[in-house]
Amino acid sequence: MADSHTHAAAQDDHDHKPHGWRRWVYATNHKDIGTMYLIFACTMFFIGGAMAMVIRLELFKPGLQFVDPQFFNSMTTMHALVMIFGAVMPGWTGLANWMIPMQTGAPDMALPRLNNFSFWILPFAFTLLLSSLFVPGGAPAGGWTMYPPLVLQNGASFPMLIFAIHLMGASSILGAINVVVTIMNMRAPGMTLLRMPLFVWTWLITAYLLIAVMPVLAGAVTMLLTDHFFGTTFFTAAGGGDPVMFQHIFWFFGHPEVYILILPAFGIVSEVIPTFSRKPLFGYEAMVYAVASIAFLSFIVWAHHMFTVGMPLAAQLFFMLSTMLIAVPTGVKVFNWTATMWRGSLSFEPPMLFALAFLFLFTIGGFSGLMLAIVPADYQYQDTYFVVAHFHYVLVPGSIFGMMAGVYYWLPKWTGHMYDLKLAKWHFWLSAIFVNVLFFPQHFLGLAGMPRRIPDYAVQFTDWNMVSSIGGFAFGLSQFLFPYIIWKCVRGGERIGNRAWEGAHGLEWELPSPPPYHSWTTPPSDAVIARGAAH
Amino acid sequence: MPARMTSEASERQRRVRRSALLWMLIAAGFYFGFIVLALVRAAK
Repeated sequence: MADSHTHAAAQDDHDHKPHGWRRWVYATNHKDIGTMYLIFACTMFFIGGAMAMVIRLELFKPGLQFVDPQFFNSMTTMHALVMIFGAVMPGWTGLANWMIPMQTGAPDMALPRLNNFSFWILPFAFTLLLSSLFVPGGAPAGGWTMYPPLVLQNGASFPMLIFAIHLMGASSILGAINVVVTIMNMRAPGMTLLRMPLFVWTWLITAYLLIAVMPVLAGAVTMLLTDHFFGTTFFTAAGGGDPVMFQHIFWFFGHPEVYILILPAFGIVSEVIPTFSRKPLFGYEAMVYAVASIAFLSFIVWAHHMFTVGMPLAAQLFFMLSTMLIAVPTGVKVFNWTATMWRGSLSFEPPMLFALAFLFLFTIGGFSGLMLAIVPADYQYQDTYFVVAHFHYVLVPGSIFGMMAGVYYWLPKWTGHMYDLKLAKWHFWLSAIFVNVLFFPQHFLGLAGMPRRIPDYAVQFTDWNMVSSIGGFAFGLSQFLFPYIIWKCVRGGERIGNRAWEGAHGLEWELPSPPPYHSWTTPPSDAVIARGAAH
Repeated sequence: MPARMTSEASERQRRVRRSALLWMLIAAGFYFGFIVLALVRAAK
């Protein structure tokens, strides 16, 4: 009896958490920091989304309707920066913070105070970036790619942009180091690398990519900064510099960045599909090797973003073929997800619906990517709306739907409540229909020759632009369901047990729902790990 | 037993610190490496 009292007291002590603002400002708990990342990402998703609405409003009809061209260009630039660095990347880091310790049997992230620092850099970075909207000359308007010499013509917003990029980069690098160190050092005994869930694997590989390429972006923008303020001529042709070299350096970062945005979604889909198919994942090891191959190949394809700058034929052939090669491991993944469902006992709860939409729509984005990889075809598609359609298919029904699948999958675990399934299905169907109304017509516009990043266009593009804008407004409005469903679930709902979904496997489902503030203070036993690792 | 646990924990702490520093050095290497690369190319 005395023992049980002592044990209960110890458990109470484990669950002791700070209250008030100190809990969040001084947070070192991986769940608290994960929650802050997710709230931050959601806020940025709506700010970036509002910018997209301005873009679609202006493009609803030909002619200049609502905003001047400079502001329109600021919107396209800021929309991209906010969505990439503010919504998707912090969203993944939030999910990593929540799930990696719980899935690997670790008590927390390896470097909790560094974790706090990584998060709290972000609000400052984005306050700086967004406040550039109010400085003379307006926000950066030269595109998120920041190509010189155009970017050097920005006014007061230029140093703000550069400093904000440095801060975001520092946050991402520190977050990635924390992930690598946690996975390599903090796993429970018995949680071997090939027993790790795919979400952990994809995040490990993503973290390696981040460590390798975020400093490259930081280096590139530092050189822009010295070109602008200290008289260097890295990228200034007048001083013997080479503007095209910036493009090479930028895309050496930029292409792996695409995989940084998508690989964790691969991990989530690899968790969700087996759960709702009630079958182990088909070809677990092949999936791990496919992700690693994609990550490796992402370093040797960068110049496919810039075929039209002019490069030797051998270089064009190399970058075209290496890009096409990525279709092989990606094909392995799509095949394995499909094979997992084959003869499975499928059910279609919201996470599965989002995962299935991911599977179909991301594949469309992959196919248009293959079209863009073909050099002579790319000469036609370059800088048209076809490119916009392509990367939005990869990033919206790819990354964003993957993230939504993850949130809908783990939300009952985080809160201990089941969310409103009917409303979540409404959210899915509205999103899935309108994302296609929004982006599919952009393929037609691009193939017909409509350039990207313009506030006005020739009248023959009117109809599909109207359709796309209507899709955009409907998609944007339907996203308000998402925070509402989460808020409602946090406040209450049907109580659920440890395993929210009957087909779910993994260490997180061995913990109570919601999990204690400090989970896995005692590492899970080998039997528990083996039960969880039923790939 | 507690003494062994403590030494395991401190060994893990050392490993965590060492690997975090290593990755930070690698990141710094990429940062400065690309700037140096640009300088070398400009000097040619």
